Amino acid sequence: MRRPLLIFLASASIAAAQAPPAKGPGTFDPKNLTGKYHRETPFQTYSNVPGGANELQAFLLKQAPAPRKLDVPTEEAPFTPAGEAAFDKNIPSYGRRIAAPKIGNDPQGMCDPWGVPRMLNGQVAGPHSTLEILQTPGRTFMFSEWHHDYRVVFTDGRQLPKPDEIEPKWNGYSIGQWEGNTFVVKSIGFDERTWLDHNGYPHTDQMQLEERYRKLDADTLELTETITDPQYYSKPFKSDRKIWKLMKDAAKDWDEQIYCVPSEEFKFNKLIRDGNVGKP
Amino acid sequence: MTRKLIASFLSCGALLLAHHGTSVTYEVDKTITLTGTVTEFSYSYPHPQLYFDVKDANGVVQHWGSEFGPTPMMMKNMKVGWSRESIKPGDALVITCNPHKTPGATVCLAKELIVNGKKLPLGGGGQPTQTSATKE
Repeated sequence: MRRPLLIFLASASIAAAQAPPAKGPGTFDPKNLTGKYHRETPFQTYSNVPGGANELQAFLLKQAPAPRKLDVPTEEAPFTPAGEAAFDKNIPSYGRRIAAPKIGNDPQGMCDPWGVPRMLNGQVAGPHSTLEILQTPGRTFMFSEWHHDYRVVFTDGRQLPKPDEIEPKWNGYSIGQWEGNTFVVKSIGFDERTWLDHNGYPHTDQMQLEERYRKLDADTLELTETITDPQYYSKPFKSDRKIWKLMKDAAKDWDEQIYCVPSEEFKFNKLIRDGNVGKP
Repeated sequence: MTRKLIASFLSCGALLLAHHGTSVTYEVDKTITLTGTVTEFSYSYPHPQLYFDVKDANGVVQHWGSEFGPTPMMMKNMKVGWSRESIKPGDALVITCNPHKTPGATVCLAKELIVNGKKLPLGGGGQPTQTSATKE
């Protein structure tokens, strides 16, 4: 971590405590986030930029005659020149810059971890779109089925570590606190090798991430994200609004254990995706 | 080689975006039908793969490979109706698939599969097992 994050840390340190039980309007507990959710809004991107993977997916999967209009398109990423250069170097195999995997460089192709926030934004298809949240005293866990991975959000009142005392990690360092009925997660210390999403949005290891989770009703969870990363983005970059639905019955299913297995992935990519079957 | 190019150019079907780059790897508006013999069925991640030999009219054998939908969608709990034991080396195969974009590549994306005269559904609807929330 190369730059102090004083403002961010100051705001993040305010009462990062485990949420007490609370009852909101209606019959649901707005502070009970525990459950297995399925994303209802389009997937694959951090942001809903026009022409992005969400539109392409809708076009391909729904046999639409043309990419559909986005309900609430978000603005283009406010890249700095360095950010745009980093974006150009990331060659995804999704979205409007889609390229065949053999000429792309998506870390996913090497079975690298998605990391946070791609864990929240990325989906492969169908069953991989789940996010399971488990609230325990002092910690909230978030499970992603892709890579069978999880991240930890500390809610025991601790503050975020000082940037110069930590090394970047795939999922960063996260604390959570309640602001009314909104669970606010603030994180730093991310490994800059990860992408924000399948579109290849980059970040540095100085990225600050804020996630805001809010129950809209007993079965519906809203998530918005904002990253602050001055080297790559000239101002805070806000995600689209992601909606998750509780999967009451699916939580009883056996877990899928979807791993990226290098011994299988690399063979698949070399022979099948790169078109080398039958070649010496 | 028994390679019958189906002339009909199909509309862009329900592509499997599950793994990265599927839609740019194959000619999704074309299908071919191949008749051959299974040499290996790899029921692995991220996509099950089927390898097979196709013999042309002159007896020359060409080795082919094909991928299916994302492996989780093929699992028993996705109710495709068959398993990793359903295809074995030596089985007679008729496969209809989208050809790879690379010229000369003997690889395709499976769309329809007939093994020993029995059609095996490929699934791949992209839907989770139990939810009413999915609209994708």
